[in-house]
Amino acid sequence: MALTVECAQCHDHKYDPISQKDYYQLFGFFNSSKEQGFEGDVSISKPAKTPVLVLNDEDVKSLVSFINKKDTGQLTVSVMGEADTPRTTYILKRGVYDQHGEVVQAAGLKSVMDFDTTRFPRNRLGLAKWTVNKENPVTARAFVNQLWAEFFGKGIVATTGDFGMQGNLPTHPELLDWLAVDFMDNNWDIKKLIKKIVLSATYRQSSRISAKHRNTDPENTYLSRFPRVREKAEFIRDIVLGSSGLLVKTIGGPSVKPYQPKGIWEAATSGRGVLAVYEQDHGEALYRRGLYTFIKLTAPPPGMIMFDASNRDQCEVRRLNTTTPLQALAMMNDPLVLEASRVFAQQLFTKNSSIDQKIQLAFRSIICRTPTNKQLNILSDYYQEQVKQFSSKKLDAGKTLNVGEYAQDERANKNELAALMKVIVTIYNMEEAITKT
Amino acid sequence: MEKEVLEHQLHINRRRFLTRVGMGLGGAALGSLLIPDLFGGKNIEEQVMTGLPHFAPKAKRVIYLFQNGAPSQLDLFDYKPMLQTMQGQDLPASIRMGQRLTGMTADQKQFPLACSAFQFEQYGQQRVWMSELLPYTSKIADELCVIKSMHTEAINHDPALTFFQTGAQVGNRPSMGSWLSYGLGSENKNLPAFCVLLSKGKGNGQGVYSKLWTNGFLDSVHQGVQFSSGENPVLYLNNPDGIDKADRRAMLDKLAALNEESNKSFEDPEMTSKIQQYEMAYRMQTAVPEVTDLSNEPEDIIKLYGAECMVPGTYAANCLLARKLSESGVRFIQLYHQGWDGHNNLPEELKGQCKDTDQASAALITDLKQRGLLDETLVIWGGEFGRTNYCQGTLTKENYGRDHHPRCFTIWMAGGGVKPGVYGETDEFGYNIVSNPVHVNDFHATALHLMGLDHEKLTFKHLGRRYRLTDVAGKVVSSIIA
Repeated sequence: MALTVECAQCHDHKYDPISQKDYYQLFGFFNSSKEQGFEGDVSISKPAKTPVLVLNDEDVKSLVSFINKKDTGQLTVSVMGEADTPRTTYILKRGVYDQHGEVVQAAGLKSVMDFDTTRFPRNRLGLAKWTVNKENPVTARAFVNQLWAEFFGKGIVATTGDFGMQGNLPTHPELLDWLAVDFMDNNWDIKKLIKKIVLSATYRQSSRISAKHRNTDPENTYLSRFPRVREKAEFIRDIVLGSSGLLVKTIGGPSVKPYQPKGIWEAATSGRGVLAVYEQDHGEALYRRGLYTFIKLTAPPPGMIMFDASNRDQCEVRRLNTTTPLQALAMMNDPLVLEASRVFAQQLFTKNSSIDQKIQLAFRSIICRTPTNKQLNILSDYYQEQVKQFSSKKLDAGKTLNVGEYAQDERANKNELAALMKVIVTIYNMEEAITKT
Repeated sequence: MEKEVLEHQLHINRRRFLTRVGMGLGGAALGSLLIPDLFGGKNIEEQVMTGLPHFAPKAKRVIYLFQNGAPSQLDLFDYKPMLQTMQGQDLPASIRMGQRLTGMTADQKQFPLACSAFQFEQYGQQRVWMSELLPYTSKIADELCVIKSMHTEAINHDPALTFFQTGAQVGNRPSMGSWLSYGLGSENKNLPAFCVLLSKGKGNGQGVYSKLWTNGFLDSVHQGVQFSSGENPVLYLNNPDGIDKADRRAMLDKLAALNEESNKSFEDPEMTSKIQQYEMAYRMQTAVPEVTDLSNEPEDIIKLYGAECMVPGTYAANCLLARKLSESGVRFIQLYHQGWDGHNNLPEELKGQCKDTDQASAALITDLKQRGLLDETLVIWGGEFGRTNYCQGTLTKENYGRDHHPRCFTIWMAGGGVKPGVYGETDEFGYNIVSNPVHVNDFHATALHLMGLDHEKLTFKHLGRRYRLTDVAGKVVSSIIA
């Protein structure tokens, strides 16, 4: 809802009209779920906490046909059943778990919209209906703003997680309202909303800056040009795999364990449990999209964390966007980038084209525009220098190419292949490669 | 390194500003937007960051020797003869006072007091009690400020560790090292400001979690960088096979030229920062292997830390590495040594743990001192909580186990403006604190103070409020400051 409700866990909110009572009334909806709490031996990992819903192939065919179920066998999902006898909910004085105060009943935030019990039952279904009710002023706005921020790097309200007094005002209030209403009118269709955003003239603008921009909208508050944003961790992986042709486009299925530096899990483990040792996958599993990468909570994939991915400790409405030397090291030395560059080079050599054409094609696939003449010259000089280095055995082409598990092309000229691979690594390391421009 | 980036951007922006002043008001407006404080319009974060440190620091750098799993204070520092006379008797309810217990001993019918199996003696002019398990630490007793009255709120490892490292029991607040990196930056342009070293003992272990060295809501440049003992001391540091240093340099030059060409149309300051981060990465590729190479250490240093210091990944090697990193200007070095979780078979396990750590911990202090660095380096030794005075499981004369105990435990600090001596006292059962309690928030406030930072002023605004390492509590323990 883009409100800092959690501030009211211990005291009334200091800035927004959210009382401590409001907090515990909202909590009341979740206080009667059937969760079990402690479930015994921590060394036995289970796929989901109880209560669980078990789905087999037949259920998917008949009942929940919208699920894309790739796993073989049963699918176990945690659910939140309602307890037969609801638990009493108290205001906890100063948020302390054993300091009971006034008894409260479940209700939505009054300052957002009255929780009318003649229309909404006091359970999670009621809360859901209240949340997506057309008169609820925040849900749709918060959601379209969140999606807007995904595409433009910044929301129409810059503080995506805080529409309260401490947040920013919208830069384009009418647009926010229009998008929110349109979203609801279209039955909360997310795909439609995304289409609307990405097909807009605003989204399709260039990032080039002109004198007019400098004078009238220097900070780009009004989106007079496309704001340059670094891509998110998962998308960086997708871009590298996608542009090189390595990406396996399968949707859904169990998480995968791609290349990861040695010892990440092993150094931090207590030695117990099934996740003490990292067992890397092979074949297609190495080339799936970033969102399928397996996340061990206590030792998340380092490449992702370096690029500001969440460690899943807490919900994040907005990720950081930073530039660090470790990111530079990862882009230059991660086998993911090196292998993608090799495979891309292999493919380019199967085409009957000049070397400049090959470089141009690689550049276009990765940067999404043609290189300037100067840039093409830089890269093609680099290629020639590299070919010389490899031919004179100053550098070892065999070793350079020996990265990743994807099949090598044994027929190609190794020196030329390695040189083009390094040109492509360089293109991947350009700032624009992982920055939306 | 962030400072470096900021300075560079400011430099560029100032130059850009000056060239544009001639263009009239629009140019001036641009200048003021790029340099927000140029016309006095400082935002709160800039106000926070100006005037750091808040006062003259006593220490410049921290080395934190975290004993992960919680060592038993009753077998190492907090000598309680009373437990000997009451061995095997039940812990009086008047002492326990309803203290909550972990799931591991909550169902125990009795809580038989267990005295330490080890001999205690007093050491140094400070007459510090230490057990026979610490033959090396006892020799540097006069350097140590031993705090016997630490207490915490958490009773299990994960929340307790997270509390010690980030000031909150549940995650995603910035780690102590990140706060210091944010507040003070780095002294070395070629190394990260916050480094993390892991090692494992043979005792019952608890895992560590990368959230312990997270930057939380601070910029990722403040993230702790984990050094590992493998061939890549820092992740992705080494150039791949077939690429040498000269070759890397050539690639970076091409890359900078490509980026600069692109930036003609964007004029994005991020591009400059990106080029600089690549340069820093390049410098790290030389600096990190140099600093992590322990092979040139002289014989007397190896003798001091013990032969194990030449085995990469051991606690001893990490202590030596910590000294080298600190000497090179790394602001905060965080070690974790696993294996202190002595629920059962504590005497045997503790012997092993001390054998692995005692000599190197003491060596680090001695080594820093002989280099004249101890005064400006704050060294901290301790775990996330203490252990119970009663036995977990079956008590025999030789064998016992101890459960988690948050109400009192011992840590020590040395160097960095800390006054040697013993601070705080527990009751004769070693269960409650009787004088000078030090809460985790107080510990953080004090550590920041020694680094020249006011814990109430080092803030970062996030989700509508200004966060601190000490959240809304914490008092500087001025009695332990020299």
